[in-house]
Amino acid sequence: MLQSHPDGPFVDPAATDVSDTAAALPPRRRGDGWRRAWRSMVRARWPIFALVILGLLVGAAIFGPTISPHDPNRQNIMLRLQPPMVRDSMGHVKFVLGSDGLGRDVLSRLLYGARISLLVGVTAIAIGGSLGVALGLISGYFGGWIDDVIMRLGDIQLAFPFVLMAIMFLVVLGPGVVNLIVVLGIGQWITYARIVRAQTFSLREKEFVEAARALGASHMSIMFVTILPNVIAPLTVIASFNIASVILAEAALSFLGLGVPPSVPTWGSMLAESRDQLIANKWWLAVFPGMAIVLTVLAFNIIGDWLRDFLDPRLKTNG
Amino acid sequence: MRQLKYALIVAGAVSGVPYAVLATPSDDTLVVGLSADIDTLDPGEISSRDASNVAEHIFTTLSSISVDGQVTPRLADTYTVSDDGKSLTYHIPPGHTCQDGETLDAEDVAYSFNRAADPANKFTGNTPGFIFTSIDFKDAIAPDPEHVVINVGIKSSMTPGFLTEVFVHCKDSYEKMSLDDATTHPVASGPYQVVDWTPGSEIVLEKRQDPGNFKTIEYRIIPEASTRTAELLTGNVDIITNVSPDQIGAIDNSNVARVEKVQGTRRMYVGFNQSAMFDSPGAMAIKKADVRRALQYAVDVPTICQQLLSIECERATSLVNPPQGNPDLTPYPYDPAMAEKLLDEAGYPRDADGVRFEMTLQAPRGRYLNDANVALAVGQYLSDIGVATNVELMEWSSVYVPLIRKHEAGPMFFLGSGGGLWSALYDMSDLAAVDSGPNYTDWDDPRWFSRWADIEAAKSPEEERTIINEMLKVFHDDGPWLLMYFQPDFYGVSNRIDWTARRDEVVELFDAKLAAK
Amino acid sequence: MWTYIARRLSQTVIVLLGVTLISFIGLHIGGDPTYLYVSDRATNEEIDQARERLGFDKPLYVQYLTFIGNAAQGDLGRSLKFRRPAIEVVADALPATIELTLFSMAIAIVFAIPLGVLAALRRGTATDGSIMILGMLGQSIPSFWLGIMMIMLFGVQLRWFPISGHVPLLEPLLQGDVRTALTSLPSALYYMVMPSLAVGVYSLSRNARLVRSSMLETLSLDYVRTARAKGLSEFSVVINHALRNAWLPVVTMIGLEFGFLLGGVVVVEIVFSWPGIGRLLFNAINQRDIPLVQACVIVLAGIFVAINLIVDLIYARLDPRVRL
Repeated sequence: MLQSHPDGPFVDPAATDVSDTAAALPPRRRGDGWRRAWRSMVRARWPIFALVILGLLVGAAIFGPTISPHDPNRQNIMLRLQPPMVRDSMGHVKFVLGSDGLGRDVLSRLLYGARISLLVGVTAIAIGGSLGVALGLISGYFGGWIDDVIMRLGDIQLAFPFVLMAIMFLVVLGPGVVNLIVVLGIGQWITYARIVRAQTFSLREKEFVEAARALGASHMSIMFVTILPNVIAPLTVIASFNIASVILAEAALSFLGLGVPPSVPTWGSMLAESRDQLIANKWWLAVFPGMAIVLTVLAFNIIGDWLRDFLDPRLKTNG
Repeated sequence: MRQLKYALIVAGAVSGVPYAVLATPSDDTLVVGLSADIDTLDPGEISSRDASNVAEHIFTTLSSISVDGQVTPRLADTYTVSDDGKSLTYHIPPGHTCQDGETLDAEDVAYSFNRAADPANKFTGNTPGFIFTSIDFKDAIAPDPEHVVINVGIKSSMTPGFLTEVFVHCKDSYEKMSLDDATTHPVASGPYQVVDWTPGSEIVLEKRQDPGNFKTIEYRIIPEASTRTAELLTGNVDIITNVSPDQIGAIDNSNVARVEKVQGTRRMYVGFNQSAMFDSPGAMAIKKADVRRALQYAVDVPTICQQLLSIECERATSLVNPPQGNPDLTPYPYDPAMAEKLLDEAGYPRDADGVRFEMTLQAPRGRYLNDANVALAVGQYLSDIGVATNVELMEWSSVYVPLIRKHEAGPMFFLGSGGGLWSALYDMSDLAAVDSGPNYTDWDDPRWFSRWADIEAAKSPEEERTIINEMLKVFHDDGPWLLMYFQPDFYGVSNRIDWTARRDEVVELFDAKLAAK
Repeated sequence: MWTYIARRLSQTVIVLLGVTLISFIGLHIGGDPTYLYVSDRATNEEIDQARERLGFDKPLYVQYLTFIGNAAQGDLGRSLKFRRPAIEVVADALPATIELTLFSMAIAIVFAIPLGVLAALRRGTATDGSIMILGMLGQSIPSFWLGIMMIMLFGVQLRWFPISGHVPLLEPLLQGDVRTALTSLPSALYYMVMPSLAVGVYSLSRNARLVRSSMLETLSLDYVRTARAKGLSEFSVVINHALRNAWLPVVTMIGLEFGFLLGGVVVVEIVFSWPGIGRLLFNAINQRDIPLVQACVIVLAGIFVAINLIVDLIYARLDPRVRL
């Protein structure tokens, strides 16, 4: 229940409810965590499947340029819209997964697209997450008017479908990977901020925080060294779901022509370009990038689900 | 109609037959799928092609342009032009009425013209914004109920053609309406009247007088191209505009509909912007006519037409539509070797990376037929001969239009400019002066611009023609456009209907009729 | 409680000021909208005149304050593109979006509950597994893609459902014409099936999973065990005891979901040519029709805030632990 709507406000209202979950978390433990995690994954089976997909994805993102058969932007309009596995007169297959409306190789674009999709997803979350964590810590730690201002800002943002704000800013700023990342990232901060704030609120009077304060630690140090490590765990759950929704959001914005410039292949823009071709039965243009998106989003969602159950056994229901 | 739909739906639901309940409109109804919403039907405010195509059926005009580009009678049966060419007198035969029963005569015509021009109304539509500025409209007077005199400030053979685009309506009904009401409640003077309008969704017209073979015309707004095609294929819609080229095959193979392909008049080109604001090496290069000419050889326009527009085309030789162009000019062939040779000679050899210079090509997305892909393909062709081209695709109305209007697009930019069939001068008037608005490239060759005075002074049509041909030669050899093609228009037409598309983007439905079974 | 409502309403004003300011600045950064509202051949002088007429010649803060001043008196300005009061244009488009949103919500809830309950009761079986996998997939598909796929399959191939178009339902109802509303109800719903599925599948999937897990939780609680032990039929246990509690989290989600789905309809409205406010706003942004954008933004944000407020109030009523 933590995910965001694919094209909607990227912050699912339900997501803010995890403060409850987080409060119930045991203090951070070190040691055999990894082994426990692995055992839990094997038991649940699905997370293994998700890990395999994510492994392939990361592999494609890293090695894509080396293993891709063609330059993803090289056009050949005489060979446009070739179905997959078509052999030329010499018996060679030029386009394993077919070619698109400009005769570009679908496979090469998919491989490059993995890189961009991951880059957009991970960086946007990194930006939104750090901003949200920082503001949430400040808000929860200091309280008072600072807290009011920050939370009101969040309210303003939540009071409006974020996808519409994103459209507005991308229309103005123009398409571009950086613009896209910034807009998508800023869409996320409030979720993180609310959770961290609630946590910080409950932690700031705790003994170990008081102890740090008594030892003369600065506000900065208390916030980021003493409190932060104790609020980070539930955020990984949200981050995992968030990456999934950011990838879907990228697809939606690309569909509206607001994603990335044409020289940057992404799955979303490939899917958007396929929309005119579907009715002409050029299925490979929609199916391959569509599958890439669905599988990736699925993988992140499964991991998110598993992480939530793993971190909070109280909610374990997926057994 | 709605009741019928309802009955069918209930019947379908009850019997559990999963079949298209709405298939095939009834025999007296024609359904048209438009790609853009209709914003206003106030005659003074109409500016988009789609709105104008709807309005064409609601409002009459003094005369109209026939399929072959001739001015033909409509409301007026004859007209005369004064000796100085600055006042035109139209004769309006009696017997016309508007939707509300009011008589439509010369006084109403004069009112229609003057209302559009009235600064108090603050209209920005096609009539005041384009027609009236082009002819320098002064005023319209009705000396008697059967005659109206239109006074203009410019003598031009194009004036009667321009005047066909001014919508005529009744005076009394519009005088008593507020401007708000006039946008949404047009009072018809033409063959059809609006009976239902759901903004963003549909406009329903009902016939009130001839011409027209259908009692009802229903315009449905369907912005998404594949949805429009899907509606045509299921038989819910009879005619759709702007068929995406890649969907032509699906429609033609469907047995329920076909695609009417017409060679349109919109001139598609890649502009070489010579504005002083650009000073990169590439921008400086294209200020030289030699370089521009070299680049003409680098782009394979017929292949672009064939592959990306699904139509065979002959490359443009100038900015004038073919029947009016200079017959002695031949299109630039695709000859990349020639392009490379000319660029070497012009002093732009390839460097170690194979690059001669870098270039930015800006283009709109979703404005013209397959525009994004055409621009990307042009970029590839230029890159192939060593002009490393980066294509920037932009949103049309909020980003691209302001750049174009301020002459800041480019240094190379992809654009289409509406043209006409009835006059070479009409097409050439884009470049009427160095500082004229549509001279988006800031081109300033005196061999072109100094000749406008000669044309005005020309004694005979033959003399005028000679000057035109000389100008077009200059444009072809050293002009500011990388010449492309005249945009084809694709209309999807149901096999239920007989209808012929026009070349000038006008969608006229008076002649549409049911196909013989 | 009244003080709480008053405080929330004052916050609403701040929120509205915030979103209008942001959209106002956003639209102005991108350049001068005047060019969109003059003819192709307008001279510089004409462009200047048009700029003055449209009010774009004044400093930004003056423009914004003028707008706020007028808005406070209920005048949201005139749409530049439609050339009539912006609020009227919004009012024309809003009912279609609300219909779609409500129907999507209905789908997301009506189907989610039985599916979730079924999965919970058949925990660990193939039924459970397939419902959960479908649920996962439903949350992973881009809605516009799903929409186009449905058009292809159910519209063009099978011809089960209409592809685009909209039969007004809310509008006649608001005008007091109940008869028309009732007669057009079947066709209106029929037209809504595909678009609302495209909008609602995500929520449907999520809700089904949500119902399942809260069902599992309640089923293991003492009083349900007691009910079972008392020998009540399994049906009675599920309906009267478990379900009543299990769907509480879903109910509390409903209000939030409304606003949430409202944001998700833009893309779907474009795919299905739905004449709603999402498409209107998207076009208005592209056209730089600033008064219309502002009107859309105010109305949407207003609805969002109002619904959140109502949800909080209901929540407070339902859950005695919450005090306002």
